[in-house]
Amino acid sequence: MADDAATDTAVDEAPEVATDEEREALLSVFSAELGEAVVAHEIKPGLGLWIRVATEAWPAAAEVAAKAADCGWFDFLSAIDWLPSPYGRYEDSSLDVPFPPPMPDRSAAVPGYTGGDTRLQVLASAARMGTSLRVLLKADVPDDDPVVGTWIRTFAGAAWHERETAEMFGIRFGGNADLRNMYLPTEFEGHPLRKEFPLLARVVKPWPGIVDVEPMPGGGDDEDEATEGGEES
Amino acid sequence: MGLVESGKMPKPLTKLLNLSRKYSVWAYQWGLACCAIEMGAAFASPRYDVMRLGVIPFPASPRQADLVVISGTVTDKIVPAIRRLYEQMPDPKYVISMGSCANCGGPYWDSYSVTKGVDQIIPVDVYVPGCPPRPEALLEGIVLLQERIQNEDMPTRWRGENRGEPIVVG
Amino acid sequence: MTGTLTEAQQLAYANAQAADGRVNVDLETDEGMTLNMGPQHPATHGTLRVIAKLDGEQVVSADVMCGYMHRGYEKLCEVRSYPQINTLVNRIDWLGSFANEVPFILAAEQLMGVEAPPRAMWIRTLFFELSRIANLSLFIGDLALQLGAQTPAFYAFRDREFVLNQIESVTGGRFHPNFDRIGGLKDDLPKGWIADTKAAMSRLRAYCDEMEDLVYGNEIFQTRTRGIGIIPAGVAQSYGLSGANLRGSGVDWDLRRDANIGLAYDQLDWKVWTHPDGDSFSRSWVRLQEVREATKMVDQLCDGMPAGPIMAKVPRIIKVPEGEAYVVTENPLGQMGYYLVSKGDTGPFRVKIRTASFNNISVVPWVLRGVYVPDIIAILASLYFILGDIDK
Repeated sequence: MADDAATDTAVDEAPEVATDEEREALLSVFSAELGEAVVAHEIKPGLGLWIRVATEAWPAAAEVAAKAADCGWFDFLSAIDWLPSPYGRYEDSSLDVPFPPPMPDRSAAVPGYTGGDTRLQVLASAARMGTSLRVLLKADVPDDDPVVGTWIRTFAGAAWHERETAEMFGIRFGGNADLRNMYLPTEFEGHPLRKEFPLLARVVKPWPGIVDVEPMPGGGDDEDEATEGGEES
Repeated sequence: MGLVESGKMPKPLTKLLNLSRKYSVWAYQWGLACCAIEMGAAFASPRYDVMRLGVIPFPASPRQADLVVISGTVTDKIVPAIRRLYEQMPDPKYVISMGSCANCGGPYWDSYSVTKGVDQIIPVDVYVPGCPPRPEALLEGIVLLQERIQNEDMPTRWRGENRGEPIVVG
Repeated sequence: MTGTLTEAQQLAYANAQAADGRVNVDLETDEGMTLNMGPQHPATHGTLRVIAKLDGEQVVSADVMCGYMHRGYEKLCEVRSYPQINTLVNRIDWLGSFANEVPFILAAEQLMGVEAPPRAMWIRTLFFELSRIANLSLFIGDLALQLGAQTPAFYAFRDREFVLNQIESVTGGRFHPNFDRIGGLKDDLPKGWIADTKAAMSRLRAYCDEMEDLVYGNEIFQTRTRGIGIIPAGVAQSYGLSGANLRGSGVDWDLRRDANIGLAYDQLDWKVWTHPDGDSFSRSWVRLQEVREATKMVDQLCDGMPAGPIMAKVPRIIKVPEGEAYVVTENPLGQMGYYLVSKGDTGPFRVKIRTASFNNISVVPWVLRGVYVPDIIAILASLYFILGDIDK
């Protein structure tokens, strides 16, 4: 068994260095094509490449991904709301807590990899067919007027994803006229994946399964304790 | 028909009619989510074979069905269609709510788009709990429903007056 | 009904009328006729609705309305802890449930820096393939059913039970196993399981041979699927089609081989099947080969199973460190990925679920243009989608 494990790690490490170079090369393509519009980037060796482009360069980034970078396989397009949820994780939700709770301050929105200046960010991915290489693209969405350019001129498949994102986040895509609701009835109000959208059932009734993440009675110190396999509970 | 509605049916006749209704339940398949596959296993697979219980799972339209199995998550968007389906079925009609989602919302109890139980829109006769219930559980629900049909007072049922307490399997 | 209507009955009638108004669409238009299929239609595996504008027998334009099974996964994931999400995501692609857990768990493990022991990875791979068989074997029967043949569906349900038995005897669930854990698996395999599995696999291979003769070799089946619904590789690429839909268009790309993240695929002897035609037949044919290939892989996995623990050391309370990870695997329906954003909490901050069927079905308006009405069924069936996988 020890032999197997040793060869495993050897196999794992060899391509890790190689793919890292591949991702560097991929990044340099974007930098060369988009120039200043590549605002920030992050490479996790062997795991992923994140690039944040300027808002105006969002459609151009798709074009670069499909043509120059040879990542022509459309993966997905979505968004992230970086504001913390005013409801937390609904741990202490009950009717006693004032509803709706005060919205967290705008400055509480802390973006993840590659940073960002706005609350909402669009996130998309494209891949190179036949490889494990894919590029994750991000762009800021202006706070006051959430509009970014559309990807449908490059990737036909983005149409549905933009409809979904528009419905879930209230982000509009300039150039994509068909932003009907993808999932919810037309009468539905609100954008569910925005953090301020409440899950009303949880506000009324706290999650009974919350005990799952409480320390076991008499289990000693909670977090640092590690359990061996098969001995959970 | 007039005899049934008048409520003056002789007892032996009621028994006979109930017996024949019991063994010729036409079940409309309203497959919604995961449970639809277990329903398919119960209805269409040789291993469970619902037909041996006298349930015919192939009506072409709800207008020919006595029983509908609501199997799966009911979302707010599908509610009008379910409602319409139920209205199309001729009386007396029976509803089996299969699986936790159809019973009460199940794992999506806090979702913004899921109806918390199909009993909010149509009356339910049998609840089959489980996520998803095994085909055997659905078969038991059908057997229990058949027992109820056997002992039913037809006129009141046809007028929709006396539905009785819903049956819960298990 | 006798006598006057009660108030409840009147209300019911009004509701029904209102429902009619919402469900129906105008049938006659200036250009031709509108054909509405769904939301509940036998040919749509659930609650998909296709609205096709027709000119005679030909489709002028088609629109897909989904969302009848939208359960709000991405929002629910934000308020659940990692083990709870694991239970939930089983139900996305409900035919191959275990496969839904794997990319999520791998993404969480990636952020935590936890690596499951080799035996756990092998068993994961094993169940990944078993769920592929459970999923795609039903597809073959279902495809034939939609093209008018009843018997293959019975056969599919009959032989699928053998796979479900094997899954159940380990996990306790027929098709929602919830067996994966961050850092490993819930349990080890029971005694005698490997021999039973091998017997089940030979049953499944016999099923594949039977289906190849009965369905794929059938002249009517071939006439109804060959040359129908052709999707060229370029179109497939820009719509992000994956799985057999992409390989049926001649693209040789399988993440199990090309982007293997820790699963045991690189230690197996297997083959990625492709078909150059890009039509309904080739997509279906690739799936049949994948079932057969998966049975062989399961056999190899049973033979070469390493010994050792099945669980790595993980804290009792799972807290995933801050970061972002995107893990994609080759699921039965195509590529499925989870974009996981963690803020160091017991639950994720945001989960984007990339499901295969959503992209696979987004090509429908394109591919249905100009086809004949009976071919709609063949094309939809061969694209193969699960409603939960589209609507999330």
